[in-house]
Amino acid sequence: MLLSAENISKAFGSFLAVRGADLAVAEGEIIGLIGPNGAGKSTFFNCLAGDTMPTTGRVLFDGVDLTRASAETHARAGIGRTFQVPATFEDMTVLDNVMVGAFLRHAHRGDARAAALRVIEMTGLGSQTSQRARSLGTPGRKRLEIARVLATGPRMMLLDEALAGLTPAELQQAIALVRRIHELGITLVIVEHIMEVIMTLAQRVLVFNQGHVIAEGRPQDVVANEAVIEAYLGRGHRKRRAAP
Amino acid sequence: MKWGLPALAALLLFYPFILTGPFYWDIGVAFLLAAISASAWNIVGGYAGQVSVGHSMFFGVGAYMPLLFYHLWGLPPVAGVPAGMLLSLLLAVAIGMPTFRLQGHYFSMATIAVAELIRIFVGTWDLVGAAIGLQGPAVGRGWWDLTFRSELPYYYIFLAVLAVVLFTTFAVERSRFGYYLRAIKAGERAARSLGVPVRETKLKALMLSAVFTSVAGSLYSIKTGFIDPESGFGILVSVQMVIIAALGGAGTLFGPLVGALILIPLQTATNTWFGGGGSGLTYILYGGIIVLLARFEPGGMHELWYRVAPRGVSVRSESGARTGL
Amino acid sequence: MLLLQVIVGGLLLGAIYALFSSGLTLIWGMMNFINFAHGEFVMLGMYVALLVVVWLGGGPATFGFAAAFALFVLGVAIYLSLIRHVMRGPMLAQILSTFGLALLLRYTAFWIFSANFVSLPQASLSGTLNVAGILMPVPQLVAGVAAIALTVALHLLLTRTNVGSKLLAVAEDRNAAMLMGIRPDRMQALAWGLAAGSAGIAGALMAMSYPWSPSVGETFGLTAFVVVTLGGFGSVPGALYAGLIIGLIQALSAYWFGPIYKDIVVYALFAALLWLRPQGLMGKA
Repeated sequence: MLLSAENISKAFGSFLAVRGADLAVAEGEIIGLIGPNGAGKSTFFNCLAGDTMPTTGRVLFDGVDLTRASAETHARAGIGRTFQVPATFEDMTVLDNVMVGAFLRHAHRGDARAAALRVIEMTGLGSQTSQRARSLGTPGRKRLEIARVLATGPRMMLLDEALAGLTPAELQQAIALVRRIHELGITLVIVEHIMEVIMTLAQRVLVFNQGHVIAEGRPQDVVANEAVIEAYLGRGHRKRRAAP
Repeated sequence: MKWGLPALAALLLFYPFILTGPFYWDIGVAFLLAAISASAWNIVGGYAGQVSVGHSMFFGVGAYMPLLFYHLWGLPPVAGVPAGMLLSLLLAVAIGMPTFRLQGHYFSMATIAVAELIRIFVGTWDLVGAAIGLQGPAVGRGWWDLTFRSELPYYYIFLAVLAVVLFTTFAVERSRFGYYLRAIKAGERAARSLGVPVRETKLKALMLSAVFTSVAGSLYSIKTGFIDPESGFGILVSVQMVIIAALGGAGTLFGPLVGALILIPLQTATNTWFGGGGSGLTYILYGGIIVLLARFEPGGMHELWYRVAPRGVSVRSESGARTGL
Repeated sequence: MLLLQVIVGGLLLGAIYALFSSGLTLIWGMMNFINFAHGEFVMLGMYVALLVVVWLGGGPATFGFAAAFALFVLGVAIYLSLIRHVMRGPMLAQILSTFGLALLLRYTAFWIFSANFVSLPQASLSGTLNVAGILMPVPQLVAGVAAIALTVALHLLLTRTNVGSKLLAVAEDRNAAMLMGIRPDRMQALAWGLAAGSAGIAGALMAMSYPWSPSVGETFGLTAFVVVTLGGFGSVPGALYAGLIIGLIQALSAYWFGPIYKDIVVYALFAALLWLRPQGLMGKA
């Protein structure tokens, strides 16, 4: 197991955003994380990425206990993540943004720059290298975030709704990009609302609702799962379906 | 603008021969000192975005040390410069370590509080002259006391120090450290997620800034031959650094120079016009400028230039360092 | 007995610290914004009191209300013209905005009123009460009690009234509040008015017993920072306890070490807090 999250809970005061969630990811897998809004997916992500410290539970990455470690330590260990609301460095150029990521693995400017340019090419941002991040639209920013994280040379990437808000054409490109990233050997955990993404990319899916995992399995099994449908559509749905 | 930098260098180098006489040389020296201080502040306040409003603490330490060395042990004031730098370094660590793990506001508040604390304390401590302050050698015992009658030697010493500060800033800008500083300013949370050692980086920036500010203070007291709690640790020392850097463009290499270029002649003019009661009005002016800057153009002249100037003229350095704010 | 007197005196002054600091902590908790000009609001309150007494010959109730009102208006005006805009911007702009404002207010006051220390002409409240051997000057007693009452009133306003819950809703989650039909802009302007107003009235209360000059704003501002840090970011009850504690510590320091040390001890306490317990007594870090 590359990543092993056991019994993760996160409380904000008296509110339990995540309750006893488990996740085991083997190297090279693509895992999907779905669930209604407010189900605790992003909070869970933050626990995995070191952005927040879980109230209970453990996070083991490659055998190392990262539960109490900072986000910086997580990044150095090889966990990269994107943010649900893109957090690019607005006033810095695309190149500079990606270079910040590249500097994790390359101490010298020249090397970092070269590595950054390679990643920029791969993610299709080549024509916008000298533009400020601020001038990119949201899809551009999301792609920039991915490029920036990629430049850190991660072993695992946590993508938080990185493919949201794209046109159908852009979506296909993005899916292709995610596949290319996977082909590099990077393990992926993806939070998404877009079913197409989950169905085509995820090998295994976890469903969150109200802070814990209510279902787990192959995409096609999970979407047919009664509990999952109920979570999204509400309790009355079953009765409504049954009625003529 | 390839000819820009050499032209600037030449201008600075030959200024005392273009505008001659004590009046202009005095302004020149004041300009250089202001540029050095503001550039020093710029490293932590401009690039890293950690706004210190109490940088006078480093300036004051650097200013007091040389005259203290003279006062206590009869040494040439210059001998006290390294001691000032070291003490400033320690002060930077003492302040940075607790506050850089908290929200940005805590750092800013801490800087005012500590600067005030030191100012009051020094004002009561007889060893360092209490409220009266310290004086340097009235007449130099040799060249090493650096008591020159003319402004000219000071001008060139200050110019050399400015060159060092600017060159260091330039080197920082292009290094990993520099990129990390800008990342922290642009988005701390994102920076963390990319492995940037935020607290360490901020601390290093503060330490570097503190050392340069200390040198500026030393230059000041050596030249003036006098220091007291107000001129060393007063809030206006801090304010001037901030306003000059912000006016020209915080987080840019030449921003502090531009700011000093605008503010020093302005200050000289208002002091002349308003005379003795002028100091109050000067600071009303400062306050007003800062508020306007914050409200309308936080990026300073640098940002204003890039918004107003036609596209073709804008100079983009390779790193795209049009950051301003 | 003298010690007890010092203690009581310190607590009474501390109550006033609590009053003006609660405004600062409200703003900080609600908008994650530090007002570096907060001390100047207190200072201006003192001058408003002076002007009311000199021009209108009013008593404490009059000049207290006048200070509260004048500063309330000022607070709202500052929010609308300046704060609202810089809040969305970079940190440098936010810090510079109120820092520059502090300079502007302070040195304008120097220009108008000069640097001389002034005090209210013979106040209507005078005399000294002797309670079990402890001498308490009436103005200070009234000021202290009023300050506590007003701080508690502010807390009740926030926690028990409709308006208060709207303010807290905006503090908690701006977007959610908007969805509930609350207008964050209005609430924030109100918060600024309340914060400035409470600082103003605190100043008026202090003017009854202590002389001042435009320079006091800086010290009050720093005192407010210490109180807010000790009491915890965003907590009005915390500001109350912390204010009392700071007032007490200050009085004891002056008594034991000498008057010069009263500020030094407070700033040193601040530094210690930052090192050891920045979330303070009751705050959420």
